[in-house]
Amino acid sequence: MLDGVTGNLERYMDLLSARQKLVASNIANADTPGYKTQDVDFQFEFMSLAKGQQPQTIEPEGLKEKPDGNNVNLDREARLLSENQMRFNLASTLLHANLKTVQEAIQGGSGS
Amino acid sequence: MSLFSSMQVSASGMAAQRTRAELLVENMANAETTRTPEGGPYRRKDAVFSSQEQSSPFSAVFQNEVSTGVAVSDVIQDAGAPDMRYMPGHPDADATGYVAFPRMNPAEDMTDLLNASRSYQANVAAISSVKDMISRSIDLMR
Repeated sequence: MLDGVTGNLERYMDLLSARQKLVASNIANADTPGYKTQDVDFQFEFMSLAKGQQPQTIEPEGLKEKPDGNNVNLDREARLLSENQMRFNLASTLLHANLKTVQEAIQGGSGS
Repeated sequence: MSLFSSMQVSASGMAAQRTRAELLVENMANAETTRTPEGGPYRRKDAVFSSQEQSSPFSAVFQNEVSTGVAVSDVIQDAGAPDMRYMPGHPDADATGYVAFPRMNPAEDMTDLLNASRSYQANVAAISSVKDMISRSIDLMR
């Protein structure tokens, strides 16, 4: 019971933090000439990523390129930044609840 | 853990934007400077950004993932002809009475400065968001 759900949540959080790092890179490079937005294909990676593996980065299509060759869209990155954070908070709350259940089982429901 | 390297990436962005803002402020302060140690009027400076892989000695040993930060790779000086103004009474006037002033566009510098400030804020927002994620992870242990 513990492995199935928590394993998935752990992978989900791993992937979210990897994505958050790419978003941070994109924001840091918002004024770097020639820089292309980096991202991960979230659905695909979540289905296929093995434990301990690094997700593949992709360059998302359809973003407007500035004259200097940079295609970072700060609105998109801001959205992803807070979206990732909220998803991560949700996952960590779920994981916490899950671990709490196990703890209660161990203590026979007598512990706090 | 990759969340900590995200903070490093955002910090590199903050440092780069701060350098850029410093150069812009220097430009505005020297808008009327006609003498420099190199001789001639002050020349406008601008920062060139390039993406750079962030790695600390610690992470090099501990993990092999790379993260892309940003760094000021070069500071370019405006090489264009100076702005010549007719001021015969000025001590730096040439034989014809013209003084070489720095070629400045205050509007350009102001918009660039605003841009640098906004980008700095975006990096700060990224750090605080990542910080929240890290403290959430730590809360799991409580």
